[in-house]
Amino acid sequence: MSASQATKATQAAKAAPAAPLASPLTTRIAEEFAAQGAAHGPNASTMPSDARRQRALQALTERGLPTSRGENWKYVNLRPLEKVRFAPPSAEGRSAIAAADLPAAVGKSRYVFVDGVFDAALSSPTAQAGVVVTSMKAGAAPVAGAALSPDLRFALLNEAFATDGALIEVARGADCETCVELVFVATTEAKAGASYPRVSFKVGANARVGLIERHVSIGSDANFINCAVDVEVARDANVHHYRVQQTGARAIWFDTLTAKLAENAKYQVHTVNLGALSARSTVHVQLIGERSEVGVYSVSVGGKNQVHDTFALVEHIAPNARTDQSFRGISGGRARVAFNGKIVVRKGAHGTDSRQSLRGLLAGKDAEIDVRPQLEIYTDDVRCNHGATAGKLDDNMLFYLLSRGLDRETALRLLKWAFLEDVVAKIEVPELRRQIEQSLAGQLNESAALNEVF
Amino acid sequence: MLKITNLHVAVGDNKVLNGLSLEIPTGEVHAIMGPNGSGKSTLAHVLAGRPGYTVTAGSVTLDGRDLLALEPEERAHEGVFLGFQYPVEIPGVNNVYLLKAALNAARKHRGLPEVDAFEFLTLVREKMKLMKMDESFLSRGVNEGFSGGEKKRNEILQMLVLEPKLAVLDETDSGLDIDALKVVANGVNTLRSPDRSVVLVTHYQRLLDYVVPDHVHVLVRGRIARSGDRTLALELEKRGYDWVIEEAA
Repeated sequence: MSASQATKATQAAKAAPAAPLASPLTTRIAEEFAAQGAAHGPNASTMPSDARRQRALQALTERGLPTSRGENWKYVNLRPLEKVRFAPPSAEGRSAIAAADLPAAVGKSRYVFVDGVFDAALSSPTAQAGVVVTSMKAGAAPVAGAALSPDLRFALLNEAFATDGALIEVARGADCETCVELVFVATTEAKAGASYPRVSFKVGANARVGLIERHVSIGSDANFINCAVDVEVARDANVHHYRVQQTGARAIWFDTLTAKLAENAKYQVHTVNLGALSARSTVHVQLIGERSEVGVYSVSVGGKNQVHDTFALVEHIAPNARTDQSFRGISGGRARVAFNGKIVVRKGAHGTDSRQSLRGLLAGKDAEIDVRPQLEIYTDDVRCNHGATAGKLDDNMLFYLLSRGLDRETALRLLKWAFLEDVVAKIEVPELRRQIEQSLAGQLNESAALNEVF
Repeated sequence: MLKITNLHVAVGDNKVLNGLSLEIPTGEVHAIMGPNGSGKSTLAHVLAGRPGYTVTAGSVTLDGRDLLALEPEERAHEGVFLGFQYPVEIPGVNNVYLLKAALNAARKHRGLPEVDAFEFLTLVREKMKLMKMDESFLSRGVNEGFSGGEKKRNEILQMLVLEPKLAVLDETDSGLDIDALKVVANGVNTLRSPDRSVVLVTHYQRLLDYVVPDHVHVLVRGRIARSGDRTLALELEKRGYDWVIEEAA
């Protein structure tokens, strides 16, 4: 057993005495789970009798949900969970939305899910050679395995309640850039029902594929969303995965992404976090195949009283694999933006090459930014570089721009933009990048008004 | 005309300028020389409005307008340009974007519409040619990865595009090889006109071989200790600063 697992075990042991405190929540979850079956009638896929979902519920009940005492959970606000309804809304409970309400389509084929359920009328599922997208209604394989790390417990909650989801299977050798766009729309108020976006993305050997995943709110902006995404990349495949979180101003968003890479596989995951009142993303990438490469690129802009928290773990299991992890976060107003980037190099993963560049920018005197690189190395012959900074905008840069006649607001916006630019520039889909740049510009405009610190 | 009267400036508890008075009529080029720590760069920064300097007494006016009451960006709008001794690198902001934003800010202040994209590029290309700069530089980040010489050329390029009323060049000649010095000097000379003034802050007289000043001033302990024509610079080159310092004591 490695030291890292030992650390986790200690954490689990520490969490154990807290279990009785957490139990009312899991009790309520179990009650809602049971009641849901009665309400939905004899529909096998939504019945709690579904064995897979039942197992997930049981595992969750045994383990409990994370608490803010957990080392990797201290930045996130878990209190709103007390007030949400965990069961998804009934079909009648979902708001009617029109295609025009959705962000402009970016991928070759679009699949829209409303409160976690596929909506054919809003989708445009153009067939792509070698790519099969099916509904997960028919009980696909579980997203989360039994040997789940305690940080992935929200995936169990998703598994227990999700009634639908996207299963994307990409055939060996398929070539489909910007292939599939998934749009998850939350419409229901958190106290009336939850939204469970769910994705299983399986990429065959040698394939080259792009997936775009977006999360938005329409109707209510106060949703409870709990998302679970699992990615498997077979040998020599190359995957670009874009994730854009723009949910409503009062939304609570939890997210769990797991990915496994085989030999020589390349996986880039780009995340842009803009929306939600409270957003927590947990990422766990396992480099299982030799010479596999992962790029974890994350941008987070929070203002007002938003909380954005990302915990991104990359586990080097095979030798000669590479990680490139970059984070750029801006926290304005009274927001709190946190990024915890952890790289674990397991025994035997010699030749590991990892780079971490984590940078946070404080743009409000009541704002908070937490940037934390972590390295755990259990083998020799590795190269792990990391750089982390958190601070205010550079006064010299600001004065330089002012001395050229730019007004203060423009100069500040420009510098914030420049701060994010190198990671945003990694988005290789021009139309998506344009949309994201526009959203970022909007967000930066807002936080510029709160810049009394400079 | 730039008129500085009895200017006292402190940085923290440290008094740097101690009653500096200077008049620079429109159309003239004045060189400010002096030993290290005499207050040359402080003067340049105070004129541009850099934070961190406290003006404890005195006044600065440009064509009768109180400069000290203005924010740095307002001074730029009034036609003040500071050429930095150490130009700042700003990765992520394009050179061409900054040039355009700066030019449009100035035009807006004069009540002119935004510059036409084609007109702008024509203008920038012409000035770049003069500064012997490669076009690829336009798409690069502001001063990002530039050599010392490239940074100084970039300062002069910005100056040429913005056409300031008063250009204050803070040791623009430092760190330049002789070819780059000639290019920079040529850029400054291009700007010379009856309706503009230039303040050259420099350690060495070398630059003044190429940009011939109307007047030379020597700053000692935060005051003008001696003024003269360009022969004063030649004398300083020969004799050093000690005799001026002794005279000032």
